[in-house]
Parts: sequence; C-alpha cells; structure tokens
Amino acid sequence: MPHLDPIEKQIVFKIVYFGPGMSGKTTNLLYIHKALTDKYKGEMLVLDTEKERTLFFDFFPVSLGTVQGYSLKFHLYTIPGQIFYEASRRIILLGADGVVFVADSSSDRLDDNTEMFRLMNENLRSHDIDPSCFPVVLQYNKRDRNPRLEIGTIERELGLDNIPVTESIAIEGKGVMKTLQVVSKEIIKRFQIS
Amino acid sequence: MQLPKNEDTKTIKDLLSGLVKRSEAITALLISREGICLSKVGNVESLNSTALAALVAGMFAATKEVANIVGEEQFSILLQQGEKRHIHISLIGQKSMMIVVFEDYKRIGRVRHEARTISPDLIRLLESREQSKKKDSDDLSVPEFREYALNLIDRIFVVGEEEDASS
Repeated sequence: MPHLDPIEKQIVFKIVYFGPGMSGKTTNLLYIHKALTDKYKGEMLVLDTEKERTLFFDFFPVSLGTVQGYSLKFHLYTIPGQIFYEASRRIILLGADGVVFVADSSSDRLDDNTEMFRLMNENLRSHDIDPSCFPVVLQYNKRDRNPRLEIGTIERELGLDNIPVTESIAIEGKGVMKTLQVVSKEIIKRFQIS
Repeated sequence: MQLPKNEDTKTIKDLLSGLVKRSEAITALLISREGICLSKVGNVESLNSTALAALVAGMFAATKEVANIVGEEQFSILLQQGEKRHIHISLIGQKSMMIVVFEDYKRIGRVRHEARTISPDLIRLLESREQSKKKDSDDLSVPEFREYALNLIDRIFVVGEEEDASS
C-alpha cells in the first residue's frame, strides 16, 4: 500500500528490484539514476561489499512532479541476491507496492531464477501480501547471453499466467526504462485510497 | 485562518521542535517503518532526510531480527555514537520511529528523557492522522490521479528506440 500523506501532500510508492545474485538489479538502478535528469532524482545509496555485491540494499528516490496538489514519488530499492541474505530481503520488501523480478537469462541459471522467485513469494506472504494479486514484472535480463533462456521458460516453470514480461540488457541500458514504465503503470492502475 | 488538517502537522512539528529546543539537538525526524520521512524539524537542510529515513528504517528492521535471535521481540531504542554527532532512535508505536541528531553527548540523558516524554502524544497524533487519512484526502480524485500519473510516467520514464533488447 502506498504511503499517502494528505498533510505533507505526498504519495510515495515503493518499487523493489528482486532477483538472484548477479542478475543485474543494481545495474538497472544505476542506469535509471544515470538516465533521469537531476530534477527528478535524489542521491543514490549503494550499500555493497568490497567485491561490489549488494550487502543490504541500493536506494534512490524519484520525484515525478505534482498531481492534484500531491507530490508523486517512487522509491526504488534493490535487494541483496545472495541466498543467505534472506532476512534482509524480507525487511526490504516491507511496504513494497510492486516488484521487478530481474531474472538472469543465462540458460544455466534457470534454477536460481525459479528458486528466488519462490522465495520472493514466501517473503510477500510473510507480509500478508497475496503474490497473485501483487504487481510483479518479470524482466529477462542479459538477453545478449548465449545460450539463453527462451521467453516463457520461467513462466512455464513457475506456472505464472499473465505476468508482464520485459527483455533487457541492463548493462547497455536496453529495456531498463521500459521495465520501470511497465511496473510503475501496473502500480498506478491499482492505486486506491483505503 | 488555518485549516484543521494543518493544525495536526503543526502539533507534530511542535512536539519535535520542543524536543529539539529543550535537548539542544540539531534535528529531529519522524519516519515510518517503511522508511518514509513523515515530519522533520531543526537544521534539516544539511541532512539528506530521504536517505536517512530509508537507512534508519532498514537498520531498525535489521535490529529487530537481531533482537529476535537473542530472545527479545524488539529493541525500542538505538543509539549511534560518533565523534562529533550522535543519533538517538526510538520506536514510536509499532509503525514509526523518531530520529534525534545531537552533538553534545553529555545531553544524552536529556535527549532520552524528552524522547520518552513526547512519545505518547506522537503516537496519539499519528493514530488520529491515520484515521482521518481517507477524509483528509477527499480532495484527491483517484481516476484523475491515475490518468495524470500515467502521463507523467510516459513523459519521464522515457523509452528510446535504442532501448529495445528483444531484437
């Protein structure tokens, strides 16, 4: 549920980039941060290890402007993809309004992708969120890899119907803004005041 | 004449301002456990309050996990001691946290006392703010909001031709 504050006049949506380790979550955020002009973005936080693996999360805020007197903002987060950071992933998913699941298209990473997707669903349920009613966009990243997973493989493996899918090569910026567009629109379409 | 809903903000800000003044702190922020800044007073220009809120919420949540490991439900206060500046973080109800940044470490007792003193009033005001949220946001038309927001997304999250990764 977004943070709606009628007093401070702001609506903040939280988008989390989820996915297995080294699938390109931070690369997505870095590209978005680079692509947006200064007036729309805040400073980016990168909490990583010496080997540049995400330790806790990456974060930056995006302010789109004012809608009906309310400041419209998106807060973008990544999670640490390494399997042992389970607690951190659960913490970061708290209050999320939508997820981009960044899958690694390399054909030998199918199991990593599906395992992490299942863990994500468990994390969502731990916050009383029904994953089947929650905005998730499946991004097949690293489409320049060979051999690579065919589009549809992960959906078939996990029995996912009607999940929005995008393709990307995040390191080159390809498909990154498209994915952000798709997930943010999915979130806005479901917005309501509860 | 001020609208009633501004009175609410003023009261939360008043409480935080009183704390800052009495404890000689630099700044005080109220944040949600999701990491969003709800209110801030004092010398806030020098601090990136958005980033601070995101980090402290993450830190507090991580500390809750630590508390669980040692058999506590949660820790209600966190103190970060630096060389020149220190941070006192306290849980406000179950959904919010207050961050007080101060310089003179000898004031820690006062900071703690003031934080504890205003906590019940902050909880009460936050609850009333939550309850009146729907009524206070009746100036917001959801269909129009959606339409404008979708337009902004199209305009700002620009997808160029070079973006296509499927070909």
